[in-house]
Amino acid sequence: MYKVKLSHFEGPLDLLLFFIRRDEVDIYDIPIARITKEFVEYLKLLKQLDLEVAGDFILMAATLMQIKVKMLLPREIDEKGEEIDPRADLVKALIEYKRYKEVSEEMSFLESNQRKMAYRSNFENDYKENPVELDVLLKNITLYDLMKAFKKVLMDRKDEVFHKIVKLNVSIDEQIDYIMDKLEVKPQIDFVSLVKEMTDKIRIIVTFIALLELIKMGRIGLRESPNFNDFEIYRLSNG
Amino acid sequence: MDKIYSSVIESLIFASDEPIANTIIMNAIKEIDGTDTEISADDIETAVDELNKKYELNEQSFSILRIANGFIYATKPEYGKYLGYLSSEKSKRRLSQASLETLAIIAYKQPITKPELEAIRGVNSDYTLNTLLEKNLVTIKGRADTVGRPLLYCTTDEFLKYFGINKLTDLPKPREIEEIMKDEDFIEQKRKIMMNEIEENLELEIENNEQDENGNQAE
Repeated sequence: MYKVKLSHFEGPLDLLLFFIRRDEVDIYDIPIARITKEFVEYLKLLKQLDLEVAGDFILMAATLMQIKVKMLLPREIDEKGEEIDPRADLVKALIEYKRYKEVSEEMSFLESNQRKMAYRSNFENDYKENPVELDVLLKNITLYDLMKAFKKVLMDRKDEVFHKIVKLNVSIDEQIDYIMDKLEVKPQIDFVSLVKEMTDKIRIIVTFIALLELIKMGRIGLRESPNFNDFEIYRLSNG
Repeated sequence: MDKIYSSVIESLIFASDEPIANTIIMNAIKEIDGTDTEISADDIETAVDELNKKYELNEQSFSILRIANGFIYATKPEYGKYLGYLSSEKSKRRLSQASLETLAIIAYKQPITKPELEAIRGVNSDYTLNTLLEKNLVTIKGRADTVGRPLLYCTTDEFLKYFGINKLTDLPKPREIEEIMKDEDFIEQKRKIMMNEIEENLELEIENNEQDENGNQAE
């Protein structure tokens, strides 16, 4: 499904490094209280958007708070009789992460150099397809929105209680023409009014399929509609 | 080495879609011209260097690169944009920061398990690993003998090709921890911290005088 990517932080360590860099603090002497506060504030923001990623961040927040508490207590002493800094493990992890982050930056440089060169057989499995960009075809509209609108139209349709046997005289091609004719008159039309006059369920279904077909062909696009549970169909210039 | 082998080597590399190893080139020559044919890995290296010199002199649009322990023809960077026009949107997409990070860790720590990788990154890496596996930049090389027998991940030849390197040791080296600490950046940062601390203490004092609220400052 759709995922909101909040920022360029790749994880809690990345975020901590950012704070450390921004606030110009010594990695070996992190002001744990301040960093924890900032971290938790960021976490609040993150939590609203993406719970799964926040999981890793919550773990880090808990670790930070644990360190903060330990800082207030008398220091533990290791076998050599030296005080153990409660931050030591975190610092180790941060530096380890920083090492690879640096390498990844250099690798990104290698990547951009190498991308300029093409090996033999480069196009074998990689010929250019029609430049159909999803953003153009589906503007601010998701599969779920389509589903909802479609369901609503079907639900709102009043069932008439009589039985009639009719031959299906509707085809996808016909409905494609129908939609394109409508769009000829108006540059855009919303889905609900497009199918409003259709009494047959099957006609609505075929029209919907025709819509999907047109999107696939790149002749029309869809975008958000101000109306609830609806969407707008618009003609593409190349269609 | 006979001059003719220069052309033989050229044709073998030219015909190969994947980087071709010097052992394969030597085998091909020895199979055809007899096992006593004198040709060494060094001869091939020299031949490739000379071929490249020739291409350079003739201003050719390509050269032979040493990639993934082999030789392969590649076009020169200045024609990249024209070639890019022909390739699909998908292949134009660069690797994400998460992918690069993950690859860097796998490249240096391989073979590595997912928990080890995630411990360094501090973040769940399922999705990133799957993407890399799909792109064939990373592969599974068996299981570790530790509890739970977790899968072991390694980089592939495709990875070397993607970054245009001959062998893993050609990758940029991660700096040693001491080196990071000696960094001017860090020294500069340390100096500023000293300043900051003085300022901070001052601010704190003023704050404390104004209101009797502390607790936020546990240090």
